[in-house]
Amino acid sequence: MRISSVTIFETSTASLNRQQSEFLKVSQQIASGRRVVNPSDDPQAASRAVGVDQAQAITEQFKDSRVSARNSVAQSESIMNSVTDAVISAKRLLVQASSDTLSDVDRESIASELKGLYESMIGQANATDGNGRYLFGGYKDNAPPFVKSADGTVQYQGDNNVREQRVDASRLMPVNDNGITIFKSVPSGAGYLAESGKYSFDAASNKFERNGFNQGNVTFSGPQIRDVNNEDYGSDFRVNVASDIGGNLTYQVERFDTGTSTWATTDTASANLPNGDWANNINENGSLSLEFGGVAIDLEGTPEPGDQILVAQAGSEQREPDLFRTMEQAIRVLESPADNPAKKADLRNTLNTSMRDLDNALDNVLTVRASAGARLNELDVVDAVGSNRMLNYTQTLSDLVDLDYADAISEYSLRQVGMQAAQKAFVDIKGLSLFNYM
Amino acid sequence: MSMFTIGLSGLNAAQSALNTTSNNISNVYTPGYNREITILNESTSRGTRVEDIQRQFNTFVAEQLNNAKSQSSALDVYSNQVTQIDNLLADRAAGLAPLMQEFFSSLEDLASAPSDPAARQGVLGSANTLSAQFRSFDGYLQDLQSGVNGQIKDEITQINNTTTQISYINREISLARAQLGEAPNSLLNQRDHLISELNERMDIRLNIQDGNTYNLTLPNGQPLVTGDTAYKLQAIESPNDPQRVIVGYKEGARGNGNVVALDEGLISGGALGGLMSFRSETLDKTQNQIGQLSASLAVAFNNQHQQGVDLNGDQGKAFFNLGQSNGYFNANNDGNASVKVAIDPDNIDALRATDYSIKVTDAVSTPPTFEVTRNDNGSEVETSFDAASNTLSFGGVNVEFVDLNTAQTGDQFEVQPVRRAAGGMDSAIIDLDKIAAASLIEREGDLDISQLSAASGAFTSNDEYGLDVDNAGNLTVTSATAFTITRNGDPFDPATEALAEGDVVNIDGLSFTLDSLPGAGDTASLNISRSDASAGDNRNALALQNLQSQDIVGGRASVSGAYAAIVSDVGNRTNIVQVNLDARQGLTDQLNAVQQSESGVNLDEEAANLIRFQQYYQANARVIDTASTIFDTILGLRS
Repeated sequence: MRISSVTIFETSTASLNRQQSEFLKVSQQIASGRRVVNPSDDPQAASRAVGVDQAQAITEQFKDSRVSARNSVAQSESIMNSVTDAVISAKRLLVQASSDTLSDVDRESIASELKGLYESMIGQANATDGNGRYLFGGYKDNAPPFVKSADGTVQYQGDNNVREQRVDASRLMPVNDNGITIFKSVPSGAGYLAESGKYSFDAASNKFERNGFNQGNVTFSGPQIRDVNNEDYGSDFRVNVASDIGGNLTYQVERFDTGTSTWATTDTASANLPNGDWANNINENGSLSLEFGGVAIDLEGTPEPGDQILVAQAGSEQREPDLFRTMEQAIRVLESPADNPAKKADLRNTLNTSMRDLDNALDNVLTVRASAGARLNELDVVDAVGSNRMLNYTQTLSDLVDLDYADAISEYSLRQVGMQAAQKAFVDIKGLSLFNYM
Repeated sequence: MSMFTIGLSGLNAAQSALNTTSNNISNVYTPGYNREITILNESTSRGTRVEDIQRQFNTFVAEQLNNAKSQSSALDVYSNQVTQIDNLLADRAAGLAPLMQEFFSSLEDLASAPSDPAARQGVLGSANTLSAQFRSFDGYLQDLQSGVNGQIKDEITQINNTTTQISYINREISLARAQLGEAPNSLLNQRDHLISELNERMDIRLNIQDGNTYNLTLPNGQPLVTGDTAYKLQAIESPNDPQRVIVGYKEGARGNGNVVALDEGLISGGALGGLMSFRSETLDKTQNQIGQLSASLAVAFNNQHQQGVDLNGDQGKAFFNLGQSNGYFNANNDGNASVKVAIDPDNIDALRATDYSIKVTDAVSTPPTFEVTRNDNGSEVETSFDAASNTLSFGGVNVEFVDLNTAQTGDQFEVQPVRRAAGGMDSAIIDLDKIAAASLIEREGDLDISQLSAASGAFTSNDEYGLDVDNAGNLTVTSATAFTITRNGDPFDPATEALAEGDVVNIDGLSFTLDSLPGAGDTASLNISRSDASAGDNRNALALQNLQSQDIVGGRASVSGAYAAIVSDVGNRTNIVQVNLDARQGLTDQLNAVQQSESGVNLDEEAANLIRFQQYYQANARVIDTASTIFDTILGLRS
């Protein structure tokens, strides 16, 4: 085929251009360390790289989230540790205080030690994290959750919510426990306790309120659980003392019916609860043994008409466990002198109730602390999984878009040779002309 | 005949041949030059004569080459333009994906510390950066649009120049043919060269009439050059979209005809065709995709933000602003209706990355009927029309007609819901307290429902609603104030009607879907109340963060998935164009070589010709010399 001079020139320059642009491409790859510089170099790889990038970013997000979750949970856990210590100390003091050889003055000094523990418990309950947010207020973390009200009791101002954080793709972890869970709950299976005093039901707050102290000197021991499968097990009961027409003391066990919010004298099977004449039912040990709803309690001493003993389930909604109220009651009873039988009985009974309450509170705090520990462990495991995943993503990303330097450098030399060859060919061809020989 | 005349004829021939050869040599690099060869023939009266200075030009090869050049030029222009978008998406560290990731990461910080001002500021900061990047992307693409508009105008000016020149040359050639019987080669070369240049600008059809006259037409048959008359193209605003420059054709050669808009897909070859293909295939689509991404993100975020409460206790307001959706009436409409376009925030899943064309199929019926097609694939979409507000709804878009009663059958409208959405994306919140990290709705109860959400303005009249539903679907509502309740959009009277499974119930702006009715003899209850705006409540922040994993773009892809799709589309398109260009270029180079082998000058060949014709001249001169010597001999006989 006939070749024109223009074709010779154009072919050579086209070849030069092509070699140069390919050479430039390889040097660009080497300089950036990337095989895929523009999406057009490998559209599938570029698009998948976007996806892998996103997965990496999400994994990083969760890692950050785990850091702050761990902070919150670890702080809660360490505060609960201190609370545990405080409750154990309080229990020890109460055991000491229940010795009969102590005088009023001795008891007062124990009361002041208890007061110190009480104040420190309030301080721990109102602990903040480093940013000034209260740990145990639920969602209401901008104000102290436990506030002393005018009547000297501590009220909970927070709410019942738990803040969660997303620590992994499908795991929302609660990162704080609220005040109700820690200080105003009991673990399941906590049993029953008894409290002496005159109680009425306040419908507005759905709680039992004490509105008077017993005048007699009845003390109780127990209550013991006899039969958890009893139909009435779980209800709250009350032993009500009255006097009949002849002036004899009578007692009536009543059950609190949550449906009607009243005290009923029958159980759920509509059978009569234990009642009768006090003096006639004393057993050979000198105490009145009562059994109802699967629970048994022994009463000793002589009551006055109108005295009441509340026998409530530990986690009852109407009695509402409250660590601070327990401490307040213990301090009150230790501070006042026990100079008459009624007060002595009140001292015995209140210490008994308070020790049971503290046991339940201790179990509860330990349980919550255990769950915090479990969560910290889980965070560690998720961290390990997450960092493995991150490694995988980095590897995948590198496989997709990074340059294989060995390949690239040998291609670079190849292209360099190609370019030099094209340049040489151009020079040679230019020199071939018939006019040179004329 | 004497030796003199014979020799003379040879000399003349040699001179002519040498002239031709020197012409070839001097024009070796002239673009459009076709080499000439001297055709010698035996003269009838002995000797030789120059039959013709024949121009070596093959019409068929020329036509093939012009077509190939037209395709290559189109692909070349396309490739130049699309590479700009490719380069824009190339930098993985500075693109949209890392900024979106940073935005969601800042939401994670907000979820861990909802009332912390530093975390809130982080969210605002990253939202602003993200919006700025969306705006800059859209700005870049919009610049490309203006660039394409400008280049179309330039190409059309050049095309008009060329067609005018071709018409002049046609005239010169026909005059020369009339005078001299044949046209000078230089004029023919010039005309063919102009036509080759014109083919590189746009694809045209060449019609050679009587083997002599060149007539050019558009691909649809409309004449461009007829003899010595040139028709003009004009760069006009598209009747559908005043911001778009398209090619118009001026009927009537003397400049006094109408300008008719040419269909955008008509011209597909040459630089002009490349520009138009690039614009309608890639640029519009990429701009719409970026717009759809920003619109989906903004609307989904705004919807979720509305489900939250800010630090002031108010329901969350719109977090992002979006660019306006555009709607245009066709300039050729007989009626006077116009359109206002808005994205429907409740139907964001149906939003697609395309423009739409609306045609009024029947303007006189009540309600009027419309036909709506997607511009990217021409398929028709289902619509629903609300006669009370004159609003046509389809594909996540609400189109409100203004002065609909003046519209005529056949009127057309163009709707661009997401084209400029990214260009106006902005964060609407500047006050840290207004970020709604806490949840607005507290829900209690065992009624089986899903998709509980609050519209803007919920809980304004009342803070709490109690609903009880029994097995038959009878509903009792407890509310401190009067309320309005709808079921599936229609008013519902709880006293007379009953609910069924799957119903969407809306009470004073709070809506939910009833998944199942309670069992026989049971009554399930639902208590919806406004939550307290606690500082530590991070539920809405968690939900906002979770948007990154949900399929919010078109109901099918997450935001990063949609972005990866854009990268893949552009990368694929660039790749395909480059591959096609290389293939076409190879073909064009081949055809070039064929054409050059026929019409190109080879300097070595001409050098040999020079030597040959020089010898020829010398030989013929020697003939005359010999004849002269013979004559002298005869003359010298007498003495």
